[in-house]
Amino acid sequence: MEERKVGSFVFQIDLSQPLYEQILDQIRSSVARGEIGLGEKIPSVRELAISLKVNPNTVMRAYQELERDGLTEKRRGQGTFITTSKDSIASFKSELAERYCLEFVDKMKSLGYTEKDMIHWITHAKGVNK
Amino acid sequence: MNAIECKGLSKQFEKNFALQEAEVKIPENRIIGVLGPNGAGKSTFFRLLVGQIKSNTGEIHVLGQKPSWELNHQIAYLPDRARWYLDYSVEKTIEYGKNFLPGFQEDKAYDLADRMKLDASMMTASMSKGQEAKLMLILCMAREVPLVILDEPFAGIDMIAKEQIMETIIDLASEREQTILISTHEIAETEGLFDYVVFFKEGKVILSGDVEELRGQQGSLQSIYRELYR
Repeated sequence: MEERKVGSFVFQIDLSQPLYEQILDQIRSSVARGEIGLGEKIPSVRELAISLKVNPNTVMRAYQELERDGLTEKRRGQGTFITTSKDSIASFKSELAERYCLEFVDKMKSLGYTEKDMIHWITHAKGVNK
Repeated sequence: MNAIECKGLSKQFEKNFALQEAEVKIPENRIIGVLGPNGAGKSTFFRLLVGQIKSNTGEIHVLGQKPSWELNHQIAYLPDRARWYLDYSVEKTIEYGKNFLPGFQEDKAYDLADRMKLDASMMTASMSKGQEAKLMLILCMAREVPLVILDEPFAGIDMIAKEQIMETIIDLASEREQTILISTHEIAETEGLFDYVVFFKEGKVILSGDVEELRGQQGSLQSIYRELYR
């Protein structure tokens, strides 16, 4: 997997998975972690497609999804910007956290663990506190 | 809408079938990878689309029409192993494009030459293989036409030139509604470019579809390719 820096973002693209999801997830995470500032301009579809050597339609799809998430805003003739609303980012971050928790809980349930076991695993699993 | 639709397409050269009852559907305004080993029928398919050869049986519809010289006004075609006149400079080549190629945009051609670092005064005779490939690409990509066909534009070209060509294609695809067919064997390096793919094997299409969907189901184009042809 190759790492590519584009503006404030660092992308790792794995060609064996849908690229649109990877672009979307990686931008979402950088916004959630605060690696890119509120109101900051992000690369245009064309710039990102060229830097990643990826089809522009694929990048466009990820950008449309970000806008639906409320994480970005298009400004006419100026490009696409990260939202200036802290609340939008905070609520999106909680949504993601909830989704990740559900995925984790589902997987642990499928192994037959109870809630108590899960808490034990969260604090004691190898590598968790690294 | 589909840019290309072929039914029961066959083409025989002496005793060999280059295409045999091929069914091909290609959606418009995408960058399409046309993949398959040597001899699978890719170049024959392209030559049929531009009417350079006639099929033995089957139907071909390109942009809703049958292949013809009139239709070729709307198609920019870069043949496999294409070479250019040795005594032409980049400037003279662009002049040629302006005079003879429908839809050719001179400004765009100079932009592309600049982007790919081809000096206007450079002569074909003094060019490397990669530089000549870029020049041929300019003749195609500077044309504002609905269909572009590039038969192995990356063959035998160094990594940097390949990247510049890919960037140019992406750049143009982001500002135009254009269907771009590209055949190549350099799948690992170029697969990000494609959003639709058609796999040829022994004169037939054996798999085609949206690249992102295929990636979700079966992995990278490179690994799909390996499974199909090994």
